[in-house]
Amino acid sequence: MKRKTAGGCLCGAVRYEIAGPLPPPSACHCVQCRRHHGALGVYTLAPEERYTITGKRNLAWYESSPGIRRGFCRNCGSKLFWQRSGSDQLDVTLGSMDEPTGLKIEKHIYLADAGDYYDPPSR
Amino acid sequence: MVDEGAKPLRATGRCLCGAITLEIRGPLRDVVVCHCGQCLRQHGAPPSYTAAAWNDVKLSGEKNLKWFQSSPEARRGFCGVCGSSLFWEPMGSGRVSIAAGCLDKPTDLRTVRHIYVADKGDFYEIKDGLEQLPHSMRAVAR
Repeated sequence: MKRKTAGGCLCGAVRYEIAGPLPPPSACHCVQCRRHHGALGVYTLAPEERYTITGKRNLAWYESSPGIRRGFCRNCGSKLFWQRSGSDQLDVTLGSMDEPTGLKIEKHIYLADAGDYYDPPSR
Repeated sequence: MVDEGAKPLRATGRCLCGAITLEIRGPLRDVVVCHCGQCLRQHGAPPSYTAAAWNDVKLSGEKNLKWFQSSPEARRGFCGVCGSSLFWEPMGSGRVSIAAGCLDKPTDLRTVRHIYVADKGDFYEIKDGLEQLPHSMRAVAR
């Protein structure tokens, strides 16, 4: 398991490092994730204090439902973070990570809201 | 008399916050999942794209649409308010790829293949049995 994970957006304006191990990611099929990502929402998470984020002035936040915000690069639109207000945890997208991630999707969630343009996997 | 403006509505869609909405009056291509490194970074996961002729796409809230030139040949369109990924446009083609996730149900679309599988992320497997191409089709947005 990796002791440090690095990643960032497509244009490089926002970069991050996460110290310590990360739990297996989940893939979210909810309509909000699919509208936002144009893809599934694939996230792992860690306590926010373990992140070092550079280029924060390029990081934009959108409150997608009360108490939930999604972070993206205002320059290139890359989806990076998801956070519940008041939580000390910060979710991060797997697609933004430098490889190897050392992680594999462990579960699929919100399958009841899956898109009609693909066959959802079994849980 | 021929009514040239009467193409039937094929699909509607919007970004997550609703600042940008779209209507498509014309055919939509089958859905293709792209696994290239650029798509993974920008979407956060491999995106599902359909495609249409630009002339068949009507946008509202276009002032909120931001473009990022991701290569000499193509640019990516996203909502500047909520960050939703909407478009991938091969410049000068008259065509645009549209993220299937932004479309309202029912889409009447189906996923037919995976492209750029040679670059796919290491955090998932492709297990749906659909066609896999190591790189692109000749013209992804045809």
